[in-house]
Amino acid sequence: MPDKEVHQSGDIVRLIDIRKTYITGDLQVPVLKGIHATVKRGEFVGFIGTSGSGKSTLLNILGMLDVPTAGQYFLEETEVSQLTDVEQATIRNRKIGFIFQSFNLFPHLSVEENIEVPMIYGRIAGRIRRKRALDLAQRVGLGHRLGHRPTQLSGGECQRIAIARALSNNPAFILADEPTGNLDEKTSDEIMKLFHELNREQGVTIVMVTHNPALGPHYDKIIRLRDGRIDETLLEWEVKKQEHAVFKEIEEQRDKAEVEINEVTQ
Amino acid sequence: MMLMRDLFGLSLHNLLLHKVRSILTSLGVIFGVGSVIAMLAISEGAKRSALAQIEAMGIDKIILFSKRPPVDGKSESSDNAGVMERYGLSAKDVSNIMKMDNIERITTVFDARKKVLKGLQRTDLKLIGCDYQFLQDSSAKIEKGRWFSPADYQNNALVCVIGKNVKRRLFAIGDTDVVGGSIRIEDMVFRIVGIVDNVYGTQYPEIGGQNDMIFIPITTARALYKDYTFVREGYAYKITRIEYDLFLVKIADTSYIDNTSKRIARYLEKAHTDTKDWGMVVPLELLRQRERTQNIFTIVMGSIAGISLVVGGIGIMNIMLASVFERRKEIGTRRALGAQKADILLQFLIETVFLTSLGGIIGITLGVGIGSAITYYSKMPTIYSAWSIILSLAISSITGVIFGTYPAYKAAQQNPITVLRAE
Repeated sequence: MPDKEVHQSGDIVRLIDIRKTYITGDLQVPVLKGIHATVKRGEFVGFIGTSGSGKSTLLNILGMLDVPTAGQYFLEETEVSQLTDVEQATIRNRKIGFIFQSFNLFPHLSVEENIEVPMIYGRIAGRIRRKRALDLAQRVGLGHRLGHRPTQLSGGECQRIAIARALSNNPAFILADEPTGNLDEKTSDEIMKLFHELNREQGVTIVMVTHNPALGPHYDKIIRLRDGRIDETLLEWEVKKQEHAVFKEIEEQRDKAEVEINEVTQ
Repeated sequence: MMLMRDLFGLSLHNLLLHKVRSILTSLGVIFGVGSVIAMLAISEGAKRSALAQIEAMGIDKIILFSKRPPVDGKSESSDNAGVMERYGLSAKDVSNIMKMDNIERITTVFDARKKVLKGLQRTDLKLIGCDYQFLQDSSAKIEKGRWFSPADYQNNALVCVIGKNVKRRLFAIGDTDVVGGSIRIEDMVFRIVGIVDNVYGTQYPEIGGQNDMIFIPITTARALYKDYTFVREGYAYKITRIEYDLFLVKIADTSYIDNTSKRIARYLEKAHTDTKDWGMVVPLELLRQRERTQNIFTIVMGSIAGISLVVGGIGIMNIMLASVFERRKEIGTRRALGAQKADILLQFLIETVFLTSLGGIIGITLGVGIGSAITYYSKMPTIYSAWSIILSLAISSITGVIFGTYPAYKAAQQNPITVLRAE
C-alpha cells in the first residue's frame, strides 16, 4: 500500500491473555477465555463475532469501560487495566475515540458543541475547541452543518458527527461499536468509505467491533471471536479473497433489487 | 476535572431545555423561600412598629404614674363618701427624685379631671396640665400653631394646645381656624394656640393617649383647679386629691437606667408605705422584652416556613434521581468520552444548586409580592431586611447542595457499560 502512512512505533493495542469471568451467585461464567491480539498503528482491525461470542465484553475492555479478570492490556506500551478510575477516564479521553451504534449524540447540543464535548473533558480552551470542531466537521463533510441539532440530521450525518467527535482529541485509535448497525445499506457504505479514507489517507487506527460477516474491503485484519476465544485471524490478503466473493454476491443482489424497483416504479 | 465555566454552561443549558419542568421542580423551594421572606417581613414589620411605639415613650425615660390604690377594705370602703381620698405622686417625690444621681429632669403632668363636652355629650378627652418640656419629652410634634411660651406659664395664661384627635372630634373637618379659636371647658374658655400630633399614638398609663388630650400650662391648671376634684357619688361628694398624675423622668445616662429605676422604686416604696399608689414603666425595659418575644416569634415563624423548604428540597431530590435514571445514556456516553466521575457529580450537583437558587430568586420575588399585598390590603407593615434576602438565597443554595449530593453521587456511580447498553 504505497499511499498509506505507517508509523512504526510499536503496537497501539496489545492484549495478552485477556480473561473475563462474570460471577453470578455461585456460578462462574467465563466470557473471555484468553484473548491475544495486537493492533498496529495505522491498522484497520475488525473484531467479528456473533452475539455471545464475547465481543461486547472485549469492546468494553478495549474501551476501558470494564477491567479484565486476568491478563494485560497495553495501550501504547502502557498497562492500562489496573489504573485508577481518574487515570482511566483521562486515557479514555485522550487515546480512545468512541463511536456507537446509535451515535449517542447529545440531542440538545449543536453539531459544533457535540464535537467539542471530549475536548471539554480534555480541558482544551474554547477558542481552540471551536477551530478544531470546524476542521473536523469539514473533514467528515459537514462543515456547513455546525449550527444544526442532531435531530435535524440524517442517520448518516449523525454518524459522521460522531466520527468527528471521536477524532477531536486526536486519539490513538478509534473504537467503533457496530457503527453501521442503525444505517441503511447505502449510508453504511458511505460511512465505511469514510472510515476507509480516514484510515488510508490520514493514518487513523481503527478498531471496529461488529457481528456483520460481510467483511468489506477495508480491514487490514479481521479477528473472529467464537465462544470467548479467537477463532481465526485473517490477514489482509485473506480478507480480500473472502470479501471478493461476498461483495460480488451483495452487489449482484443490490443490482437485482434496483432493477425490480425500477420496474415497479415504471 | 472539567472547566467550571463549561459545567455552568452545561447545567444552565439543561435547565433551559426543560423550562417548565425546571420551574415545577423548584416550586417547593419557590414557595418555601417565598413564605420565609413574607413571614420574616411581616414579623419584622410588626416588630418595628411595636418597637417604634415603645420608643416613642422615650427609651431615655422612666415613666412614673399615680394610680388608685387597690381597694382592700382596710383603707377604704364603698360608703366612706365625703372622706378625702388622697393618693399618688407628690411634689415631695419630685424634689426627692431630683436629688438622685443620673436624673436630668422631671417633666410633670397633671390631669385636671374636668369633663370635656361636645355639645351636651361627655367625651373622654382629657384636660391636662403639663410642664414646658413636655412637648420635647413626649415625641409629639407641633402640627400647626405653636407650643406654650414661658410667658404663658408665668401669666397662667388661658391657652391650650390640642391633640390631633381633639381637633377631629370637636371641630368640623373643613374648619380652618381651629388655631386661634377657643374651647370652653366648664366655665373657662381657653384660646387654642396649637395642634400637636403624636404619630405613634403614645398611650400613657392611667391617663391615656396623647392625641386625645387638651394641654394647658401646668401653672394655669394649678391656679384654676388646685389639686383636688369633687366627684359626686350618690348624695355625697367624694374628694380626691392627687398632686401629679405623671412624671417623665429623663435619665442622663441610659446605660445605668436599670440601677436608677431600682433606686426610684426603692424610694417610692419607702415614701408610700401604706399603699401602692404609684406605678412605673421603663420603656427601655419594655423594648427589650418586646424584642425578645418578637425574636422568638420570628424564629418560630421562620422555622415553620423553613419546613416547606425542606419539603421542596426533598421534591427536588426526587426529580433529580428520576432525571439521573432518565439520562443514563447521556451519563454513559459522557463517561466513554472521557468524563470523570467528579465531572458527572459536579454537573448534576450544579444543576440542582442552579434549580434551588433559581427557586430562591423567584421565591424572594414571590415573598416580596405577598408581603406587599398584605401591606396593601391589611395595612400591616412589612419590612424586607437585606439579611433575610441574603439568608434565603444562601439557604436555597445550601438546600441544593444538601439534596443534590445524593442524586449527583448516584449519577457518578452509574456503570458506563450498563448505562450505555440501556435504551
